[in-house]
Amino acid sequence: MLDFKKNDIMKNLKKYIVYSMLIGSLASCDDELDLKPISEETAASAYATGPQIQAALTGVYESFQSSDYYIWDRVIYQDVRSDNYYAGGDNPEIFQFDRVEVTPTNSRVYGMWGNVYNAISKANVVLENAPLVEERITEEEREHIMGQAYFLRAYHYFTLVKNFGGVPLYLEFINSPDPSVTRLPRASQDEVYAQILADLEEAVIRLPDDYGDDASENKARATKGAANALLAKVYAQMPTPDYAEVVAHADAVINSSAGYSLLSNYAELFSGNNYNNSESILEIQFLGGDEGNWAPQMHLPPSISEDSWRKFVTPSVDLVDAFDAEGDQIRKNATILFENVTWIDEYWGNSPNSSVPFAYKWKNASAWASADNEYLLRLADIMLLKAEALNELGQTAQAEQIVNTIRDRAELDPLTQEQTSSQSAMRDAILKERRLELAQEAKRWDDLIRYDRAIEVMNNVDDVDLSTGQSVNYNVTEKDLLLPIPQDEIDRNPNLEQNPGY
Amino acid sequence: MGLKNYLIYCFSFIGFMAWSQTERNGQVLEAVTDMPIPGVNVIIKGTNNGVVTDFDGNYSIMATSQDTLVFSYVGFQSKEIVVGNKVTMNVSLEENTEALSEVVVVGYGSQKREDITGAVGVIDAEETFKERPNNDLGSLIQGQAAGVQVLKSSGKPSAGFNIRVRGTSSISAGSDPLYVIDGVPTTDTRSLNPSDIESISILKDASSAAIYGAQGANGVVLITTKQGKSEKAQFQFDSYVGVAQVWKTLEVLNAEQYRDLMTELGYNTQWNQYNENTDWQNKVFRDALSHNYQLSVSGKNNGTQYYISGGYLNQEGAVRSAEMERFSFKTNLSKEVNDWLKIGTNVNYTHYSDVDVTDNAAVNQGGVLLGVLATPPNIGVYNEDGTFTSNPFQDWENPISSTDGADRGYKNQRLLGNIYTEVDFLKNFTFKTNFGIDFNADRYDYFLDPFRTSYGRALNGSSQYNTNINNYFIWDNTLSYKNKFGDHKIEGLVGSVYQKNRWEYSNIERRNFASAEITTPGAGSEIVGASAGKSEKANASFISRINYDYKNRYLLTANFRADGSSNFGPNNRWGYFPSFSVGWRISRESFLENIDELSELKLRAGYGIVGNDNVGSYAYLARVGSGGNYPIGGQTMPGTYPATIANEDLKWEESEQTNLGIDLGLYDGKITFSVDAYIKKNYDLLLNVPMPTGTGFSSAIQNVGEIENRGLEFQLNTINYSNENFTWRTSANLSFNRNEAKDIVGQVITRGPVASRGNVSLIREGEPLGTFYGYEWGGVDPATGNVYYINQEGESTFTPTADDRKIIGDPNPDFIYSLGNTFTYKEFGLDIFLQGSQGNDIFNATKLQMESMIDSKNQLASVLNRWRQPGDITDIPRVNTEGSTDNSRLSNRYVEDGSYLRFKAVTFSYNFKQNALDKLHLNALKFYVTGENLITLTDYSGFDPQVNAFGGDNAVQGVDFGTYPQTRNVIFGMNVRF
Repeated sequence: MLDFKKNDIMKNLKKYIVYSMLIGSLASCDDELDLKPISEETAASAYATGPQIQAALTGVYESFQSSDYYIWDRVIYQDVRSDNYYAGGDNPEIFQFDRVEVTPTNSRVYGMWGNVYNAISKANVVLENAPLVEERITEEEREHIMGQAYFLRAYHYFTLVKNFGGVPLYLEFINSPDPSVTRLPRASQDEVYAQILADLEEAVIRLPDDYGDDASENKARATKGAANALLAKVYAQMPTPDYAEVVAHADAVINSSAGYSLLSNYAELFSGNNYNNSESILEIQFLGGDEGNWAPQMHLPPSISEDSWRKFVTPSVDLVDAFDAEGDQIRKNATILFENVTWIDEYWGNSPNSSVPFAYKWKNASAWASADNEYLLRLADIMLLKAEALNELGQTAQAEQIVNTIRDRAELDPLTQEQTSSQSAMRDAILKERRLELAQEAKRWDDLIRYDRAIEVMNNVDDVDLSTGQSVNYNVTEKDLLLPIPQDEIDRNPNLEQNPGY
Repeated sequence: MGLKNYLIYCFSFIGFMAWSQTERNGQVLEAVTDMPIPGVNVIIKGTNNGVVTDFDGNYSIMATSQDTLVFSYVGFQSKEIVVGNKVTMNVSLEENTEALSEVVVVGYGSQKREDITGAVGVIDAEETFKERPNNDLGSLIQGQAAGVQVLKSSGKPSAGFNIRVRGTSSISAGSDPLYVIDGVPTTDTRSLNPSDIESISILKDASSAAIYGAQGANGVVLITTKQGKSEKAQFQFDSYVGVAQVWKTLEVLNAEQYRDLMTELGYNTQWNQYNENTDWQNKVFRDALSHNYQLSVSGKNNGTQYYISGGYLNQEGAVRSAEMERFSFKTNLSKEVNDWLKIGTNVNYTHYSDVDVTDNAAVNQGGVLLGVLATPPNIGVYNEDGTFTSNPFQDWENPISSTDGADRGYKNQRLLGNIYTEVDFLKNFTFKTNFGIDFNADRYDYFLDPFRTSYGRALNGSSQYNTNINNYFIWDNTLSYKNKFGDHKIEGLVGSVYQKNRWEYSNIERRNFASAEITTPGAGSEIVGASAGKSEKANASFISRINYDYKNRYLLTANFRADGSSNFGPNNRWGYFPSFSVGWRISRESFLENIDELSELKLRAGYGIVGNDNVGSYAYLARVGSGGNYPIGGQTMPGTYPATIANEDLKWEESEQTNLGIDLGLYDGKITFSVDAYIKKNYDLLLNVPMPTGTGFSSAIQNVGEIENRGLEFQLNTINYSNENFTWRTSANLSFNRNEAKDIVGQVITRGPVASRGNVSLIREGEPLGTFYGYEWGGVDPATGNVYYINQEGESTFTPTADDRKIIGDPNPDFIYSLGNTFTYKEFGLDIFLQGSQGNDIFNATKLQMESMIDSKNQLASVLNRWRQPGDITDIPRVNTEGSTDNSRLSNRYVEDGSYLRFKAVTFSYNFKQNALDKLHLNALKFYVTGENLITLTDYSGFDPQVNAFGGDNAVQGVDFGTYPQTRNVIFGMNVRF
């Protein structure tokens, strides 16, 4: 009897176990597979509110820190490529810039292309989404955000057109891999400049003179002053410059209610604790720590950086001689520091324990995480640009006045009679003044191109490589005035044509 | 006992007269050793009546004189005896050399070898792994199965390995097979203890891998761990001690030759302060000790099966500071509760730690292997103040600073296990539910003190602590049906599977330390990085399979699977994967049954589609990343950036496979031979299609493209000679695979950046993945000492353009092969296992860096032949004072033949015989010595032909750039069973 009951229970138990497991196995339903990212946002919800669109705009500014080009390489492209500095260090790709023999497979050029276009793409995202935001945004904020995005897009296209000539104009955020959308051909140089000017006009209308009293915000964000400063530079750098516009926009900066003014002490510009000052128009911001600047460590001598490997961006004999010839102690001491080092530098002494110069404008290494900011736009640059434009318009005397103001700040005598005697003499004087004022600030190569003197100046450099006894022979030709389009990009976009000569 | 027997005889005599059942008995022994075999089935043929032999091999059964008793046991040849008037029948069973009756683990079950219709490679781990170093599953699998290529890209103990089953099938998605350990899928086998493995089945074609459809596109490696087998508890103790070393060194310049080279380059220094002559290879390479201990106890009685083991392995690396240590613990337990309920659990706990060595990097980035070659001999190791020395001209520190300078270590604690229940009901049905987890907690610690290294001084010390947690579980429920209707045998299986992965990671770095006393991040005053994040992935599947067998002659297997993945959007979340295979055992046909020599002839054919979704979580969504922060107003403001482009239509990558095979067995299984031919087409390839970076993105994931692999595999096993004193067995395999990128939407993709000179690998339609792409080297111009190249028109030029590059080599082998011979003579055993690869090229980027003479690195001795003055005829160009890489471009000069034949493992053993063992109360005792990688025959000039600086990368293989070489190992060990 008992047995029979036990069997019964066992039989039923079996049934229950099986049924419950079968039901349990239906647990896998589709909802479980609809997972959303936890540590990332999706495009559908990332631009809905004011603070989110602000974050997208912050992401555009971040390119100034994360792109090798903006944080360091632009010094190589402008100052090392020209006659101001040698490559130093140990990197064959940087040697290519020093010798003005950049090949299409240079990975730094490819990186720069990608980084700058990435910043443009982020700006496009802001421009498309800012008009659509409804929550937690005021109209004024929206205008400011759009203005900054227009400014940044123009800034980056200006970087590209100066280096490569005409480039593809991506003006909408790309969200499809369809080649008909992604493989744009190169626009002409004029078309790119037209777009830059259009963007900057939009920026000028929308941007305020300042964002309040906090200088560390006013010099971090684009302002009306920054837009006007950039307009001045663009009108000067264009293939057919419009000097009247240069003057107009430079004046807009000089007379701006933001109150830009030259610092009385040049050295304070670069002391390291005086950033976001009144002369500054736009700076790349760093706080140190995980918002730190690694570039100063690449330049600074062992006594400051606490390491002892051969540093990059070594001031050239030509540059040091230029400072000395002018008797320009103030600016030389702010720009260059000499120190005895254990390694061999083939331009300076070519033996151990020689005295070797260092690029010194960024003075704090801070273990690869410096808080030194970097100037993108400052007043002295715009003033000299105004002088240059005035000179081109025939107003040499007024140009002279401006140059002398700059020289006075550096405690130098005014220009001599000879230097101001003619438009072309004045031109040379301004070029030389820019060189001494703006060394290491990534301006030199643009200046040489704008003055149409790159080939002549480079090929006349007479620095001697002491290890071989031969003088450097740059052999710069017409083709070298533009960089090659990166080969990797041409491989990905067959609609791109390479620059001539490469 | 005697009276009872007498009475039984009397009664059975009477019983015989009356044709009734009487008791028969006897003992079953093993033929060669005369050991009793417990657990042997003794069944009356044609019925289900039977008994099982007891611990002493004795049985007792009621049977009539007409009955035939069938004695059968796994691994032995069955015997049949007609009872007649015998009362006592003692039986000797011979071991089954026929591999065909061997039971092979396939997905969700097992099949007899002879019934398999797909392509399955089987490795008997117990046999093969026993006398080999226990640290690395990849080395142990290498060469053991046709069509399975093990890519061991580095010889360091912490390196994992990658497996390619029938070629590389993917570009952006993973190409490794799915590993399933006791039913729990996983991707990490590094912490698994090979001593615990019973067998490995590699499911190579679609129909066999189909049951794992999703993720089975690259094959499936089924790993089954040991279970108890014997009635009496069996203890096993294995231990070895070994030494490993780098088997080849390269000749570099000595101190004086280095000085000459530097002088020629124009570098000057105070040479009298650098008057050492350090042999860096000697200082950094060492004889690495290893020792391993494994103890297990296992058994099976009263329906309880158990296997408990614990093991410890410590393995030093042949490069200073590299090491690996593993504690493992395992319990496999199962219990037949009653005749319809079985429950079981397998639990594996491992504590694994290793110290890594920086390789695949130049000396400027702390690469140790290149540092060993490129650091000049003129400097010592330490300066007077205890800091590390560096190159006289650059601040590249010596390689000891990279090995010894930072305290670092990686730890992984892992719990891998499952629990299952099997319910038998309604006579033919079985329901099994299985729940498995794989829980991994990884930690990485790193501390660089603020004094001894240059980087450490610059940072003022740095400490990092990174954690990674991976939480994975799987729950599968299957219902299977088995029945036999006359000559028809049917097995069916349906089921559902759900799996989920959750990854959590965090990392922190702090700098600015006052001393090296505290190495954890808290003691650093400056936070440099702090971040954490999580992601998930889930899969759901419905599976079904039918096996049909008619007269054991015509076999059919069909599978159908539906899989859903969270990586794809609602549009295309589910993929459907059918497959089938058929087999025809021709040897069982009447027209072949009389051929005695032919024991097996089977034809197999299969076709199927399996899928791959291994592209990263949330792949179909347009994701926006955070962390684009920027200081505005003196405060760091949060910033975002578009990370990926959406692809709502993203779907499963599919692999369509066709397989044809022949299995041949001759002379009762003394010779078995298999041939398989296959075509594998992967289409709708999950590819990160490169986009112009002008778009702001560098690639977008799409289903485009097709890769094809086609090949031929041969496997031969023979028993050449077998008698009481001497046996000789051979096994060999040979595999051919041709890989081709058939369609990648017209893209030409280059990958694999080498030595700052561009990419060396090419993906292009019509070519196999991984082909090398570069310039054609012409020679050294005697007039200038510069290298000239051959451009696309065939002319020499000193300045080739990017368009002059061409295909210069192929790292894919023409074929891979292995040959194993096992000899036993009385107590001695000798096992020689050869493994090789033929026709694969290697790009020797180490040589490129070490012969380029552009800076102050030390160079190979070959540069003594460099061009020095006009008129010199040589193949080494001049020194390069301006640091130009024109004379050392990526060209075919550095492409070498990497074919090799290795004496992969040679084992000499001594197995104590029974009489000696009895005295010691042991069941088995063996001593052995094994040499691994003893001799490598190759023309390759680098450290080792089996290297890849890019690990298991689908598109870049065969590149040697300061890669840690494989080592030569000798171990002395013993196995004891008691």
